Amino acid sequence: MAKLILDKMAMQRALTRITYEIVEKNKGVSNLVLIGIKTRGIFLAKRIADRLRQLENVDVPVGTLDITNYRDDVEHDSLSTDVKIANSEINFSIEGKRVILVDDVLYTGRTVRAALSAVMDIGRPSSINLAVLVDRGHRELPIRADFVGKNIPSSQKEKIKVYVSEIDDKDAVEIIK
Amino acid sequence: MAIDINRVLLLGGGPTNIGNENELDAATLARLSALKKNGTKVIYVDNNPFSVTAEEIQPANIYVKEVNFANVTNIINKEKPDAIMATTGGLNAMQVAWQLVESGILKDNNIKLLGIKPKNLQVTMDNEQLRSLLKEINENIIASKIISDEQGAIDFVRDVGLPVIVKPLSSNHDTNRFICNTEEELEDALSKSFSYSYIEHVSIEQSIVGYKEIEMVGVRDQKGDKVLVSGLEDMDPIGIHSGDSIIFAPTQTLINEEYQTLRTATFRIMDSLGITGCCHIQFALNSETSNYFVTKVSPFFTRSTLLAEKASGYPISFISAFLEMGYLLTEIKLPSRFNKFTPFMEPTSDHIVVKIPVWPFEDVPETDKHLNTMMKSVGSTIGIGRSVEEALMKAMHSSQFSPRDILPSVTNMDEDELINQLIHPLSSRILILMEALRRGYSTDELAELTKIDSFYFYKMRQLIRAQDYVNAHPLTKHAVDVGHQYGLGDGMLAQLWHVNISSIRQINLESNFNVTFKQLEPSAGEMIQDTNIYYSSYELENESEPFEEKSALVIGRGGNQLGPNSAADYYTSEILITLHHCGFKTIIMNNNPNAVSLISQLSNKQYIEPIQLGNILNIIELEKPDVVFLPGNRHFLARELVRRNNRHMKIVVLPADQKIATFNARQATNSVITFVDGKDVLPITTFSFLNDDSDRHLSKIINFKEPMETWQQDESTLFDEAKERIDSEKWQGLVEVLFDRNETGHFDFVGIRPTRITQTALLSKTTGINWVAILVRKYIGKLDVNQVKDALNNRNPQRFAIMKAEFPFKKIGSPKLIGNNHQEVGSSLTFENFSSGSRANL
Amino acid sequence: MTDRYLILEDGSAYLGKAFGSLATTTGEIVVNSTMNGYQEIISNQIYHNQIIVFTQPSIGNTGLDHNSYESVLPSARGVIVREYENLAKDHYKRVSLDRYLTQHKIPGIYDVDTRQIQHHLHQFGNMKASIVDVADDHAFDQLHATVLTNQQVSQVATQAPYANPGEGDNVIVVDFGLKSGILRELSRRECNVTVVPWNYSSEQIMDLDPDGVILSTGPGNPLDLPDSVLKMILSIQSQVPVFAMGLGHELFAMANGAKVSKLKVEHHGSNHPIREIITNEIFFASQEQGYAVDSKSIDHSKLFITHIDLVNGTVQGLRHRENPAFSVQFSPDGAPGPHDSNGLFDDFMEMISRRRQNNGNRY
Repeated sequence: MAKLILDKMAMQRALTRITYEIVEKNKGVSNLVLIGIKTRGIFLAKRIADRLRQLENVDVPVGTLDITNYRDDVEHDSLSTDVKIANSEINFSIEGKRVILVDDVLYTGRTVRAALSAVMDIGRPSSINLAVLVDRGHRELPIRADFVGKNIPSSQKEKIKVYVSEIDDKDAVEIIK
Repeated sequence: MAIDINRVLLLGGGPTNIGNENELDAATLARLSALKKNGTKVIYVDNNPFSVTAEEIQPANIYVKEVNFANVTNIINKEKPDAIMATTGGLNAMQVAWQLVESGILKDNNIKLLGIKPKNLQVTMDNEQLRSLLKEINENIIASKIISDEQGAIDFVRDVGLPVIVKPLSSNHDTNRFICNTEEELEDALSKSFSYSYIEHVSIEQSIVGYKEIEMVGVRDQKGDKVLVSGLEDMDPIGIHSGDSIIFAPTQTLINEEYQTLRTATFRIMDSLGITGCCHIQFALNSETSNYFVTKVSPFFTRSTLLAEKASGYPISFISAFLEMGYLLTEIKLPSRFNKFTPFMEPTSDHIVVKIPVWPFEDVPETDKHLNTMMKSVGSTIGIGRSVEEALMKAMHSSQFSPRDILPSVTNMDEDELINQLIHPLSSRILILMEALRRGYSTDELAELTKIDSFYFYKMRQLIRAQDYVNAHPLTKHAVDVGHQYGLGDGMLAQLWHVNISSIRQINLESNFNVTFKQLEPSAGEMIQDTNIYYSSYELENESEPFEEKSALVIGRGGNQLGPNSAADYYTSEILITLHHCGFKTIIMNNNPNAVSLISQLSNKQYIEPIQLGNILNIIELEKPDVVFLPGNRHFLARELVRRNNRHMKIVVLPADQKIATFNARQATNSVITFVDGKDVLPITTFSFLNDDSDRHLSKIINFKEPMETWQQDESTLFDEAKERIDSEKWQGLVEVLFDRNETGHFDFVGIRPTRITQTALLSKTTGINWVAILVRKYIGKLDVNQVKDALNNRNPQRFAIMKAEFPFKKIGSPKLIGNNHQEVGSSLTFENFSSGSRANL
Repeated sequence: MTDRYLILEDGSAYLGKAFGSLATTTGEIVVNSTMNGYQEIISNQIYHNQIIVFTQPSIGNTGLDHNSYESVLPSARGVIVREYENLAKDHYKRVSLDRYLTQHKIPGIYDVDTRQIQHHLHQFGNMKASIVDVADDHAFDQLHATVLTNQQVSQVATQAPYANPGEGDNVIVVDFGLKSGILRELSRRECNVTVVPWNYSSEQIMDLDPDGVILSTGPGNPLDLPDSVLKMILSIQSQVPVFAMGLGHELFAMANGAKVSKLKVEHHGSNHPIREIITNEIFFASQEQGYAVDSKSIDHSKLFITHIDLVNGTVQGLRHRENPAFSVQFSPDGAPGPHDSNGLFDDFMEMISRRRQNNGNRY
């Protein structure tokens, strides 16, 4: 049984709010870069970038990060950084930048930890913040999102599914029991 | 943002029928100009011989074929279009589009479906998928279930409550529906249903009979911006088909919260279906609880879409074509007479539009005349006013086809019959409701009995009071004033008081009562723009200015009835187009919301008014047209206009009056069509009348073959005889000479008549010569007959054209199969190659 | 059916028929083009001192509904419409439009060419008008001599605070002439609401321990209110989330250094597309505005412009760059008008909960 938690409008508003909060917290958009975590985080990062362009008339760089090779269930110590980030696309320097990592759901925190490792492998940003559309709790690591679209308390048996219209034909967040 | 479309395949609406009037052709024609503006090449498929759209597209790009899967697939293979536009072809075209999606043809040929994504089209065409989508977005739908025992029914009712509708299901027996308001009735219905051995399953659903029916029409662009164009409120509750209901726009009895809830629901549904273009959604609203159900989602053009366009002044047909091509609302450029913000401003009205349907029961007596869930009307008329009463009165006025300005009387009906008709409404329902009020039924009583909101009875009562006052104070200044305020035109006042209309006009003059024409536009007076649409009211400010250039007033046909009416609308449209080409500013007067002739692309000014003497005189007085075109069947109007014509205005009766026909006999098999100009009698072609039975009576001439079957042997003889028979002193224009082929094979002369409207339309299609245009030019003195001769000589026909009438019998549950020419509702056209030779040099 | 006149400051007069009260009144004349919700419009305090012309041709059609009042004591000065229906649909069939207007001493005129009035006002701009029995020189003299009060807020806003209890967040509503729609939206979100007078100080407000503060809609010119209101706003916005609407929005803008000026023609309707800049989407909302924030006067280092009206270009929304505070010119409560922007109340609630999660720190 799927239950709709956020519809298109609510999802739009959550992203809008995150965007404003990013500007508020960073006192502007200078030095800001967005990195979306594959797959849906990328589209969310792009949407945040679109909003920043509308709002501040500035193009904030958007990169994409594939953390498959950083997951803790993958033997990765032997791989070189180049290989590990081969499927990522970050065509800009992150040295001294304020990085905003963007993902769809924050759950155990393992994905984010992997993403943090990957970002640190690539360069030395001045700060890293995390923006997620949904925070569903059940953290296994001490990781906290700086910008949250919606807190959705959930049981571990449930699944949270985020749909983005770019690849899913609709915008929605559903909870599946 | 527009997508790159070079060639679009446009699916036509097919022959007109019940539920499918000229509105599809009107919408298609309106969007043609949008496609042209975008530089898109249009390929058009339709087999409606009365399509005006087809006249506006290069013949090489038209396929005269039925819109079905096989034909459209063939055309796709041949023409390789980039995109397909099905939204103005009605449900049939949408179903063909669906088949094209299912079969993979669109995908294989890389053809884009405009208006809705293929996946979502499937959802809207498949009831189960639509229901689950609506459930997913938390919209209410009527609960229904198939059950096989009583327990199932009880469980169902425990969930959704009473009332419910129980319908036994059987594949080979007709079954009745039971409406169950109480548990006893439910038990009764179930035991009856299950008592038959052939019934194994019963469908049970929530009953919404008596709910208000509300319709919403909106547009949406690719990016997701939306505008709610108009809300429409059916006066009649659920239980009477929306197509048979009296409709008010804007909604009259919804509180803000209810209206906004439905508006939001409309947008949510349009978003979830990713509509780019227009969408029409129907709701059932319980006015006690404000709960609602979604009852129908139509992501394509419907009657109501066009009614919303007429009611709001927002050009949906034009705008939605751009939306389907990928333009955003904020990118669409309307013609410069519109305010540039109009496409993305939500329309707001300072007028009221009332639609009253027109039913075919006089022409098809052998049918159940009760209004129910099956649509039976064949046309509709609208009345527009600045008050509810005025709009209602004008709509009633427009929906009556009596030559005189008077509404039928039902005062003699006995009480039992009145009550019976209140509960089981017939087409005269509005008159019955008013009669009941007149007899002292209270508004609450009537609201309870009919489930019509008491508001409407308040308004009807006002109308009755006004009428009573007028009746009691004949020829007084104040009564004329009251009459005007309540939509009784000068003509009606004259009839009520049994005086000549000039007496009323004299009072107007003395009392300075001036009719004012208000512009119908979508900003309630906020924006200065020219929609060119006007309606009358008696107020202070007149907004319609006469043209400085020479102008022509064309009187339209009003609501569609059975008979040649959709062809007549074609005729009216072609008159307008020709007059425009001849340098006239054109003015149309009509009240049929589905009329092609009323779309804004076809004339410089549109008056939406009852087509009656008083209203026409008002317009003539203001516009002072140089020419007036009047249809031949309006004898009273023709007489009165000629009599009052004191300013040398030219009055042309076209299409010609059939009453001047002369016959020696009453049956015919063939005819010759000639064009008579001065002393020239030019034979054009011959017809065979294809009758399905052996009945050759004139009234049964409904199917045609052109040229005649045996043209090779007989045509030249008949041409010669026709020429001899026609006295050019008496006959001018497009003249038909009829013959009857007797047993010996000889053709007996039958009679002469003006060529009928349907045949004229067919003739234009088959000869490639626009005969309406030629007639118009002839009567305004702009015809060079040598050009007609040249055109006739340059033809090289190689095929038969076959036009067959369509009848509404099946749709309205009549047992008849074949009808006469007063009962046809539309026609279809096909071509068939000659077995040998061509017919050059006639 | 008594004849009465609507007379305008520029000398024009319109003859119509009376309904409602037979009082003689004077006010600013404004045209409202919203198609539904006559009850909400008439009872909105924003129409204090104003005579409302409805372009929707027929009002009174649904009687008066107990859920649709925007204030208990309406303060409009008159109602002008093409036609009205006097029908009661409440439980006891008591309250019709005529009775309501009579009770609240609001005169009405029907059977006038409201479309012409709309055209006239669009051409000549805002002006005073009176509803009178006779349109003679005396009436026009009276009209010209009448000075409308500039103490509008203090006349319609509450004098003493009152509670509207709920189980949820503690929201303080500063009342400048509040419409009930705001309270309805807050109670749908289970807020514990306290409505306070417009002249409460920031200390008084903060002592109520708010989770968030709403600056309400209201009538009249924001420049007529004392600077102390602006000081209150400046102080509050740095401490708790703030959501301002209508007059509240104009005051929020002024507190943050922007200028506000009077429109040539007041705009009352819900037909103008409003663009939300950040998403580039358009939507519709009920707008009742006589004043607008001057976009050139906005200090972009302090405020974002979040919404604009695409038709007249006016600023429709602002947001503070550093504080969780935002404002809109229109009415997001949809009473009357579209529900499109209803989510702004959710945004406000999210701001509140974000602040709480961060233990009083903003982030």
